[in-house]
Amino acid sequence: MSDPGLDGLAAARLWAAVKFPYLATGVFGAQVIAERGSGAVSVDESWRMHADPELTAGWTPAQLGSVLVHHVCHLLRTHGERAQATGVRPDEARTWVRAADAEINDDLVPAGLDLPGRPVLPRDLRAEDGLLAEQYFEAIRAFAQEGKGGRGVGPSDRSGQSDEETAGGWVDCGSGADGIPRPSSRPGGLPGWQADLLRRQVALDVAAHGKLPGTVPAGLLRWAQQVLSPRVNWRVLLKAELRRAVAEVAGAVDYSYRRPSRRSAVAGQVVLPALRRPVPEVAVVCDTSGSMTADLLAMVLAEVEGLLRALGLARQVRVLACDTAVGPAQRVSSARQVQLIGGGGTNMGAGIAAAAALRPRPAVTVVLTDGYTPWPAEPPKGMRIVVGLIGSRAPDAPPWARAVRVEPD
Amino acid sequence: MSPNNPAVEALGVAVAARVPVLLWGAPGTGKTSAIRAMAQIMGLPCETVIASIREPSDFAGLPIVVGDGVRFAPPAWAKRLAEAGHGLLFLDELSTAPPAVQAALLRVVLERAVGDLLLPAAVAVVAAANPPEQAADGWDLSAPLANRLCHLAWQTDPRSVADGLAGGWAPPVVPVLPDGWQAEEVLSRGLVSAFLRVRPALACAPPSDAASAGRGWPSPRTWEMAARLLAAASASGASDEARSVLVRGAVGDGAGIEFLAWLSEMDLPDPEQVLADPVSFQLPERGDRAYAALAAIAAAVATDPTPERWTAGWQVLGLAADVAPDVAAVAARVLAKCRPEGTALPAEIHRFVPVLRAAGLLQA
Repeated sequence: MSDPGLDGLAAARLWAAVKFPYLATGVFGAQVIAERGSGAVSVDESWRMHADPELTAGWTPAQLGSVLVHHVCHLLRTHGERAQATGVRPDEARTWVRAADAEINDDLVPAGLDLPGRPVLPRDLRAEDGLLAEQYFEAIRAFAQEGKGGRGVGPSDRSGQSDEETAGGWVDCGSGADGIPRPSSRPGGLPGWQADLLRRQVALDVAAHGKLPGTVPAGLLRWAQQVLSPRVNWRVLLKAELRRAVAEVAGAVDYSYRRPSRRSAVAGQVVLPALRRPVPEVAVVCDTSGSMTADLLAMVLAEVEGLLRALGLARQVRVLACDTAVGPAQRVSSARQVQLIGGGGTNMGAGIAAAAALRPRPAVTVVLTDGYTPWPAEPPKGMRIVVGLIGSRAPDAPPWARAVRVEPD
Repeated sequence: MSPNNPAVEALGVAVAARVPVLLWGAPGTGKTSAIRAMAQIMGLPCETVIASIREPSDFAGLPIVVGDGVRFAPPAWAKRLAEAGHGLLFLDELSTAPPAVQAALLRVVLERAVGDLLLPAAVAVVAAANPPEQAADGWDLSAPLANRLCHLAWQTDPRSVADGLAGGWAPPVVPVLPDGWQAEEVLSRGLVSAFLRVRPALACAPPSDAASAGRGWPSPRTWEMAARLLAAASASGASDEARSVLVRGAVGDGAGIEFLAWLSEMDLPDPEQVLADPVSFQLPERGDRAYAALAAIAAAVATDPTPERWTAGWQVLGLAADVAPDVAAVAARVLAKCRPEGTALPAEIHRFVPVLRAAGLLQA
């Protein structure tokens, strides 16, 4: 760790580490490089900060420290990667950075971040606190679409913006914030896997400090929880569970003498059986009680249907609508055709029993419910059950079923 | 593929160490051509078998009546590999193979047994698959098969595609393992076993959900694989990035990251040793590591603040203050709060006054 020749850097980092102890590892982990004449303090994706000493000379240690913390947050929240994933074009980079700034500032500025100039806050973007950069980005776009002068979109308003909101001229946060490589970028810095480890360490620090209530801003704590135990998209989980259930049935490949094996030619006198593979029938039981959210149910049904179509099983699907009684089975070719009849109370046991009574008997049954239902004590024989629990507060499914929680995005 | 792509490097190390490896990647991203090129450079005959159009008996052997018994005859590709004595068996389209074929592949991948024929140990097994999300007719890999392979994510870098189209594809760089590299395995096995003593829960943790069952997950077999890959990576001088890709590919992301984090923590000085001999203290180069080392030393003093330990702690901070006054000052604030009664103020404390005052943390 060498001295880059930036006045007040040590005091600034010390201020940051004391003010935000849960981010200290990140603040010390970033390498600071003096870059005379750049007129900005920017950060690249390899955890290097490029600071113009002439610019920072006018700042107090608290201000320089705040800029360091702000940039570290860009890196922690992987704004560069996310910008590329969102499809931010180079001419939209500045808008994206404003959105990313809002995501960082909305809870760090109340916690005592002292940025030079006026920081971008969600209310400047006409949005509420606590959203993600992607959501702020959409908010700015929507606001610009309303025809209010295109503020915040495109490079033309660059000068106007820095006068208005971030006087001090450090607005170019660098490739660490928008993921667009700068021409001056050099190889080196922290390799990606070490940056991952560093990010994880900071998340552990944040989570450890978060055990004392009121010490860590809620948004940062949410970030740490997401890093330490990432929430997997329910679509991936639901599809994987369904594929597995179908595979277990389809994998029950058996030998049959009805047709001779294609290997018979090499076996001489021996008659070999051919392999036959069962094609599983699938039933979907939908909870139609009043407590269900129709939008979410339609989304889940569409996912289930899409997957079954990909597996070549779309023709085998039957859908049952169920509350306390069961509606007749509908053979459908699209999720839009499902009619949700019913209301009042729920009993999924009745729905599962009705699915088991169908002929041909389904090998896999998908139950979509909000979980407020009695369940049979035993699983039905010879049938695999995959449960989609809809809504964030759904009670657990019985242990004999494979359950996936479906939460609104 | 650029030669410095960590996945290519990791693939080379795994092939050289004869650890079965599986490349996950979208169709058309050059997995097959990279593997063929690698086999050619290494001088290995390459046999490509597309798993999805085979039947289980192609891997378990075809039954033939011989006299009064039945022999399981191996197919021609297996015979060719056995005759050559070495080679590369490339199993393509692994994830679109139906579950019954995947079950038949279990013995081929790990034990190299095809019917009654045992392939020589010098045959490397490499597989490729499209993620189930991308292959319409794909199956998740069964957990037992997934556990026999080191999983590498194959990503394309747009810049290297552009270069390759214009100027030809650069051949992959194949690492060379020096003779006797297996000696390093003793060391890496020691590291893995020390880690598993600290985190016994990670010795065997089968995944609970179906989506992650088809990827690497920690089990005694994969930890052994990880130890072998670690040894091969350090013997061939592979980059740290490739090493991390290999470890995470063998035991899964979660356990792999924990192991790597534990490895880098191993490099930090032991606080008790430093306090016993403060003059020998070397401050780690990277800022966050220096912070971790000094914070650990300050915390060690704070748990048992005897006058000797307290003074030794200040001596360490005094050394560190030359290089990183800010990092040392954070630790100094911890030490200042646990001063044992009747101990004289150390001389080093004055070195922190200017920086503390500049940061506004001292009154006047």
